Order: sequence, then structure tokens, then C-alpha cells
Amino acid sequence: MTPAKSLLVADPRTRARNTAEARFRALGLGAVLVGLGALLLLVGTILANGAGAFRQTYLSIPVMLDADRLDPAGTRDPADMAAVTTFGYAPLLAQALQQHLLERGIAMDGIGPRDLMAIISQEAPAQTRAMVLQNPDLLGQTLRIEMLAGGRIDGYFKGRVTLQSAERDANVTPAQLVLAQAMADAGIIETRFNWAFLTGPDASGQRPEAAGLGVAILGSLYMMLVVLVLALPIGVAAAIYLEEFAPKNRLTDVIEVNISNLAAVPSIVFGILGLAIFINFAGLPQSAPVVGGLVLTLMTLPTIIIATRAALSAVPPSIRAAALGLGASKMQSVFHHVLPLAAPGILTGTIIGLAQALGETAPLLLIGMVAFVRDFPAAPPEGLFDPASALPVQVYNWTQRADPAFVERAAGATLVLLGLLVTMNLIAVLLRRRFERRW
Amino acid sequence: MNAMQQVEGAVTHHAPKISAKGVDVFYGDTHALKAVDVEIADKMVTAFIGPSGCGKSTFLRCLNRMNDTIDSARVTGRIVLDGEDIYAPRVDPVQLRAKVGMVFQKPNPFPKSIYDNVAYGPRIHGLARDKPELDAIVEKSLRRAALWGEVRDRLGAPGTGLSGGQQQRLCIARAIATGPEVLLMDEPCSALDPIATAQVEQLIDELSSRFCVVIVTHSMAQASRVSQKTAFFHLGELVEFDDTDRIFTNPGDHRTESYITGRIG
Repeated sequence: MTPAKSLLVADPRTRARNTAEARFRALGLGAVLVGLGALLLLVGTILANGAGAFRQTYLSIPVMLDADRLDPAGTRDPADMAAVTTFGYAPLLAQALQQHLLERGIAMDGIGPRDLMAIISQEAPAQTRAMVLQNPDLLGQTLRIEMLAGGRIDGYFKGRVTLQSAERDANVTPAQLVLAQAMADAGIIETRFNWAFLTGPDASGQRPEAAGLGVAILGSLYMMLVVLVLALPIGVAAAIYLEEFAPKNRLTDVIEVNISNLAAVPSIVFGILGLAIFINFAGLPQSAPVVGGLVLTLMTLPTIIIATRAALSAVPPSIRAAALGLGASKMQSVFHHVLPLAAPGILTGTIIGLAQALGETAPLLLIGMVAFVRDFPAAPPEGLFDPASALPVQVYNWTQRADPAFVERAAGATLVLLGLLVTMNLIAVLLRRRFERRW
Repeated sequence: MNAMQQVEGAVTHHAPKISAKGVDVFYGDTHALKAVDVEIADKMVTAFIGPSGCGKSTFLRCLNRMNDTIDSARVTGRIVLDGEDIYAPRVDPVQLRAKVGMVFQKPNPFPKSIYDNVAYGPRIHGLARDKPELDAIVEKSLRRAALWGEVRDRLGAPGTGLSGGQQQRLCIARAIATGPEVLLMDEPCSALDPIATAQVEQLIDELSSRFCVVIVTHSMAQASRVSQKTAFFHLGELVEFDDTDRIFTNPGDHRTESYITGRIG
């Protein structure tokens, strides 16, 4: 006869089970920590790289806008003045800078005229020219003009470029950096928040300091507009039909399986489809947000349909029975009772689908959204057919460029994209909280 | 009890409200209900009793064609309401269900206000021309469901916030607001506590003076308390249909007797 077991002493089996449970908990916690760590590392890296894109170095000097050189015809007519290209403006700025430095008594040791000019961005003459063409009355005046500093100078003030690295860099000399530092001490150069990064258009590979996300943000917004307008009604209607009205037979089973499969199709396939159908067959323009929106609509539809069906089937059948029992028609029971209860789930699914579409790159590459676009698209609806870029494609585009300053820009654009995605997901959570009802 | 018997005596001369002949129901290959013949009289309570799965709820759901909403269900036979075959091809179940209201086993108010719950039926059927008329219907229905006194101050509160018994009375108010002639109740008290059950039973008794009430119940005590006629179903067959008193005191079929005395079911 075995002695009576005491509850105060754990038997071997219990001990083994408790050990297994403790082990499993530790593993689970470890997995969570690894995931969190990876996320923190990722966001931290992007932040460290990209935060600089939101600050920009500007220098402001008085510039005499010489009427004889900028308007040789003397007509003050922007059409005539346009004959003077940016190359006509560049020497003007260089002279103004040299003169201002002399007046302020800042030494220009070992700096030739070309090196001096390189402190100013190549974008500055173009900006000055645009300003003058817009307002010819400025000619003859001496204005304090604020212009972008060159990419390397900007990098110096953000810590990307140092005196050591400048010695090995063909694009910048340590003397330039010393001068820039002197100018900053004199208050000619300052670094501040860079609105142009969010509102300005893209710039060429030689002018990273001027590159902005404006066109890409607008293009992405236009595409989201198209996706929302098309995918939400079509997806919800399809889901309602399949869930509430369609007979349950082999055909609807096949449709269901295929919708689920469609959600798993690689996105680049949708790009090929869009290229073949919307551009080659339907003749829609390349690089246009409307085509991008259509392609992303195709991609988002399965997500919305699946989310909507899940939301509809989560509504208790007793609600349907109650409505039908009162003599409501099938459609009345769906639209008066089932759909309002499913709305939070549908909204959440839609926003998650939109967020997915916002971050999608591959299909957009195939329909020409990767093109270099400097002109802002017009307001919708016409603007939907104008060439535009998109945020993720802009990130991809910038990472391809040679100048290291574009690494910073690409990381900055990633931050903007992440910010938009987090905002959309927050909206989804808030809407779900707001409209969730008990039954 | 005397009053009830008088009512009963008065209606036996009239034509039945609902008459079913040879009703069979199939769920896919399952033969759920076999050749049921029954005549249900107006202005009284008819109870369907029997063990689980005997087909009593299935038959109840035939009376307002709720079985139509189940894809695999198939109903044959003839069910006549006021002389009209409700399974005739021209009958729209939507119209039928306005005339034959239903109360379900579990209280299922809409997640809307108490007012909107009751007003929904009249609204979709266009029973009220304006707001005062709708208000009147809502008040009358809530009064008949013995709920008006408890909710008159909070008609805008959600119906789902009421207690279980109140919710079930709200569902009854909702069902009678469309002005039905028949009220079907599918185990209306099975989710309620004894006090709420007593309230609903009293309500059923009151309602039977205006409506033809058909109630499915698991509780034989309830059937004997509220009904004048009782039908006993077993394994998909209607075994016996008679006055409630007779069923419970002197049943004609040995299966009925076994069930009532607790030997089967």
C-alpha cells in the first residue's frame, strides 16, 4: 500500500508539467522580445538616418538683381526674360556671395570662385530665376534672398560630412567647410525645419538638397482616393452578396476559394495585369495615379471582401431572424440591421487594405510610376491622369541614386510613409472603438 | 380557469384560424416532421410540447415560413391561414410575417433604442402616417406587452440594456406592433428566470384575448398553465392534440402519458 500523498509536496508529474509551462512562457516572452527588439532596431535606424531630411541648411545673402543682365531687352516681359537661363543667374549669386563675405570680413582662404559657388546649391539660381520671372518688378532691387546650401555643406551641418571625410571627397574641400562654419558663426548660414521636403517636387541626382516628396505624397493620395472610391463599394457589395444572398453551391464555393487565393497573389502580377489591360489595352496614360489606383484596387478588393464577409458573419443570426420575423425583406434585414453592426469591421478591413495599398511598390514600377516627375498633377479628376509619383516608389527611386545625401532623403521618405501608415491604423482602431456595439 | 373555459367554448364553433394538412418537413435528407394535421383556433393559446428534436419548433417555423430562410429546408403539405394557403406560390413571406408575428427563444432586441425596436415593424410596413401615430403605436404595443410602465421614461435607451425578462417583453411588443393576428412563441421563457417567466406567462394569457397564440415550450407546467389546447410531438410526429386539461389528466396515447409522467423525453 502506497502512503497517502500530501498536497504540500508536488509529485514528479506535476513538477514536470510546471517546468514545461514555465519553459513555454519563457520562450513566448523571448519571442515577443526578439520581435520588439527588431522593430525598435528598424525604427531606430530609419529615424537616425532619416531625421536629417526634415532639417535643411539655408544661407541668406543680399543679392543685387541686375536689370541689365537679367532683362537685356529691357521689356520686363517674362517671356523675353526667360531667354536668360539659370546659367545667367549663377554668376550673379556667386558675385553677391563673394561681396557679402568681403563686407562681413570673413576670410576666404584657399577658395577659388568655383569652390565658393559650390557652397550654394545648384538649385539656387533656378529658384532665383523663378522668383524673378514671377515678379519682374524685383529687377534692379537688392534683395535678401534665402537659398539652399549645397548638399555637402548641408551634410556638414548634419554631421554626415566631416573635415576628415572632405579630404577624400572630390565634391567638397575642407576649406569650404571651414568657410561654411565661419558663415554659420556669422549667421549667414542656418539650419532649420525643411517644409520643402514635404511640399516640394523631386530634384535631379545632383541636387539632393532640393529633393522633396510633394509630388509623391499627392500621387499616393490620388491613388488612395481611386482605391477608396472603387474598392469600398465594389468589395462591400460583393461581400454582402456572397455572404447574405448567394446560394451555397459549387459555383459560389469556387468563387470564395478564388477570392482567398487572389489575396495571396504576388503584387507584381497585378502590375503586369495593369500594364497589359489598363495601359496597353485601354490606352490609359503611363505614370498616372488613375492606373496606379486601378491596379491597387484590384489588389485591395480581396482584402476588403474577406474582411467584410468576416464582419457580416460575426453578426449573430438572431438579429437577422428578428428582422425577418417582423416581415422585413432580406435586403431590409441586411441594410437596416446587419450592415450597421458589421460596419466597424468593414471600416477596419478597408483601412488596413488601404494601408497595404499605400505601401505597395512593385506593381507601380511596372506601370511607369517610377518615372522622374517634377510637375505637380492638377486637381482631381483631371489630375488623376497627370503623371505623378508615389511614396514607396519615391523611396525606391532615391535609394538608387549615387549621392549619399539621398540615403537621408530615402529614410526621411520612409518615415513619412510609416507616419501615414500608423495614422491610418490608428484611425482604424479609433473607428472600431467608436462604433463597436454590443448585442 | 372558468373564464378561459368560457372563451374556449365560444370559439369552438368558429372556423380554425390555422389549419395544417399533411405537413412534412425535410432538412436535406432528414425527415424532421411527418404528416402533421392540426387545427389551431383563434383567440386562445395553443401549446406544442415534446422532447428535444421532436419537430415542434420546426412546425412552428412553418407557420410563418421562417423555414424558408434555411437553404436545405423543404416543406410539403398544406397550411391554411384564414382560408388562404400560405405556401401558395403567390404568397410573399414578407407579407405573411407581418400577419404572423414571432417571438424567439432568446431575447433578441435590435441594438437600437427601445422606441426604435418597437417602431421598426410599423415603419417598414408603413403603418403610421406621422410621428404622433407612430408614438401611439409604440405606446400601445408597450402597454400590451406590460412594459410601458418600466420604460416610459427611457424610450431612447438601448433595448439591449434591459434585463432578460424586459428584453423578451420588448420583443413581444415589437412583434405585436405590426398588428399581427397570430403570435408564434418559440420557447419564450427558456432563457428567463422564474419571476420574468411568470410575468411573460401572465402576458401570454392577456394576449390570448386578442391574438391567436401558439407557444412551443419545454416545460409541461408552463403548457398546462398558459394554454387551452396542447399538441404533443414525438420523433417528428404529432402524437396527440386535444384540450390541455385532457392531455395532462387523461391522455389518449401511451407515449403522451409516458412523456408527461417523465418516462421519455
